[in-house]
Amino acid sequence: MYPDSLCDSIAIVDATREKRKGEELLRLTSAEMEGLLRRYHPDYREAGFRNLRIGANRGDRTTHEIADLLEAFSNLDHSKISLEPEFDTDVLVLGGGGAGVTAALFAESMGARVILATKLRVGNSNTIMALGGMQASVHEDDSPVRHFADTMGAGKFAGKRELVKTMVEDGPAIVKWLLELGVDFDRDEEGNLATRKAGGITAPRIISIGDYTGLNIMKVLKDEIRKGEGIEVMEFAPAVELTTNGFGECNGAVLFDLGRKRHFTVRARAVVLATGGSGRLHFQGFPSSNNFGATGDAIVLAYRAGARLEGIDSFQYHPTGVMFPDHMVGVLVTEAARSLGGQLVNGKGERFINELETRDACSAAIIRECEEGNGVRTPAGKVGVWLDTPLIEETQGKGFLKRRFPSMYRHFMRVKIDISKRPLLTYPTLHYQNGGILIDEKGETTVRNLFTAGEAAGGIHGRNRAMGNSLLDIFVFGRRAGLAAAKRKYSEPGNVTLGHVYRYYDRLKSLRISSVATSPTLFPEFIVSKL
Amino acid sequence: MKNSAMFIIVELEGRKIRIPEGLTVIEALWDTGYDVKRGIGCLSGLCGACTVAFIERESTKVKFGLGCQKVAEEGLNVIMMPCFPSRAARYAMEAMAHPLEELGTHYPELYTCNDCGACNVCPEWINVAGVMKFAKDGDYEAAASRVTDCIMCGLCASRCPKSIAPQYVALYIQRALARERPFPPNLAKRLTQMESFVFEAEWSRIVAMGDDELKAYCAAMEGP
Repeated sequence: MYPDSLCDSIAIVDATREKRKGEELLRLTSAEMEGLLRRYHPDYREAGFRNLRIGANRGDRTTHEIADLLEAFSNLDHSKISLEPEFDTDVLVLGGGGAGVTAALFAESMGARVILATKLRVGNSNTIMALGGMQASVHEDDSPVRHFADTMGAGKFAGKRELVKTMVEDGPAIVKWLLELGVDFDRDEEGNLATRKAGGITAPRIISIGDYTGLNIMKVLKDEIRKGEGIEVMEFAPAVELTTNGFGECNGAVLFDLGRKRHFTVRARAVVLATGGSGRLHFQGFPSSNNFGATGDAIVLAYRAGARLEGIDSFQYHPTGVMFPDHMVGVLVTEAARSLGGQLVNGKGERFINELETRDACSAAIIRECEEGNGVRTPAGKVGVWLDTPLIEETQGKGFLKRRFPSMYRHFMRVKIDISKRPLLTYPTLHYQNGGILIDEKGETTVRNLFTAGEAAGGIHGRNRAMGNSLLDIFVFGRRAGLAAAKRKYSEPGNVTLGHVYRYYDRLKSLRISSVATSPTLFPEFIVSKL
Repeated sequence: MKNSAMFIIVELEGRKIRIPEGLTVIEALWDTGYDVKRGIGCLSGLCGACTVAFIERESTKVKFGLGCQKVAEEGLNVIMMPCFPSRAARYAMEAMAHPLEELGTHYPELYTCNDCGACNVCPEWINVAGVMKFAKDGDYEAAASRVTDCIMCGLCASRCPKSIAPQYVALYIQRALARERPFPPNLAKRLTQMESFVFEAEWSRIVAMGDDELKAYCAAMEGP
């Protein structure tokens, strides 16, 4: 239920709807886009960034929040724990989202013994929140090459060509694998996979399951992982440090048992790091759409072990995060709402950007409107712009929103907002870590026997990720990492040590870097958006 | 804390406590110093980790919901109840020729359901009892089409006097149905194309391109 102050603003949106209906907004030229991003996108706000002073990416630019964690000592007192492995396995998968579970399933399929350890429950991840869909070039008018071109373009050509090529080429086969597992993608009348267009995508390529795509895939994967005996699952056991042998190769991890409050060590022939992104570090004070555990642990752990990072100064701010009601701040409104004709409208009832621009451009434009005083203020003092959902209902027909976005419809009905009658107040929300740990086509990092998949990995999405590519990337590289890791099962893991951590400490000390922060973060301190 | 915050009295985990108005149950627990981790996931109402049971002021009925979505109101009495045990069958679906026919083997308790309706406590507003009735009667399409929004929180299972776990029964049906659908023709065609290397010539052109050439190539894809 909107308060009176917002209802007044909604009246303006209602009054201008008819006029806006037929309005065509030109797409930005590349120069306009560049100018908009430089001036308003948070990635270009220099005060939010600094250069790293230590490690493989020394001199590279990253956010203060990440630099603080990378230039910090561990929160683990190494002198007080035993590194004697309590478990010994072939493949240790860290992270229980889509990438981790996929890696575990494929590693097991190769006959490897697998331990999957995760901070929260298996499935509590950003995968389940991938509402809109997944890209795969299955439409007649589409091709893997076109998918490649769109992905490279969306990422401002900063993505690694070979990784993008790998992802788009594996796409159709990954869809086949998911179908065979029993994932029920939406079909059209002829039984084809139903496809849709989205911002920055030149062919219908988004496949989906209602507006709960990621959730429905994850449910099946979770069901599948229980099937055999080959995968041992350890929930509530986040990794706090990787271990290495005398050659600097990764050979396991120190985990923390949250229930019993004790550390224990798992030795492995290969480790797949799939602990996701870093939205819960709330860069520059932005709200986040991420789950509770997305605190950037992967980059911290891998960096201390010597892995090279890629593109860690680039983040995705999803244009339409909820700004009202207060307890839903940061929660995502799917991009499909804009693809289907939902307009972005400022406080004056005007459009200010073509809604089909890429996510970074839409976000920058919303920030511009709010900074220039054209935003709408909530009673809690937050500012946003309207996403005109009633317009979608008008153009697509009565009952469309309830049918097409049942979960979104219900979530707002719970707070007595009918999205078919009332617009939603939105503002960019921290959504995705575009960069991460640099991988090759096998998913291996620059540290031997350390693999990475999913949002933790970097090099694929360049400086902006297109909608639906993350859901594809987690399965493509999860599979590849799992298969490649399983092949290491005959290698000799060697002694479990924290040598790399001590070397890192020595380096911090010699650079006279001292920090009050300890890392990894594991859990955000306190998230109450309204304080 | 917001200066204008109004305060309310609630009973959290069996303890009367004063909190600012407008917090969700999880935020209220954090606000009062509870170190809650086990019952927390996506904070968006999608992962089903934070199930709660509560009694509202002057109500006689215990209700259920999600801790990240339920906003605390004056007089609310609430506890978190994550991890309610549900029996999930173990099966290898790819080993079954017609998994739908084996539903009763894996979930025999489904057929003890007597439509009592106790399971209709779904935070996603799914008519669970209705779904179970369709499942029992073998109308699997009807059952599956109603559970796309199931977040596997297990609240329904916690209410069932017959120990049925509706969320797992429904998932079994969803998977089994999906496996019995014909393979999508558009995907089949694409896979055949890729197996016969239809795109290889294009790829080798792309691999040889310089950066500027690639940019021009990609821009041309977007069309007029």
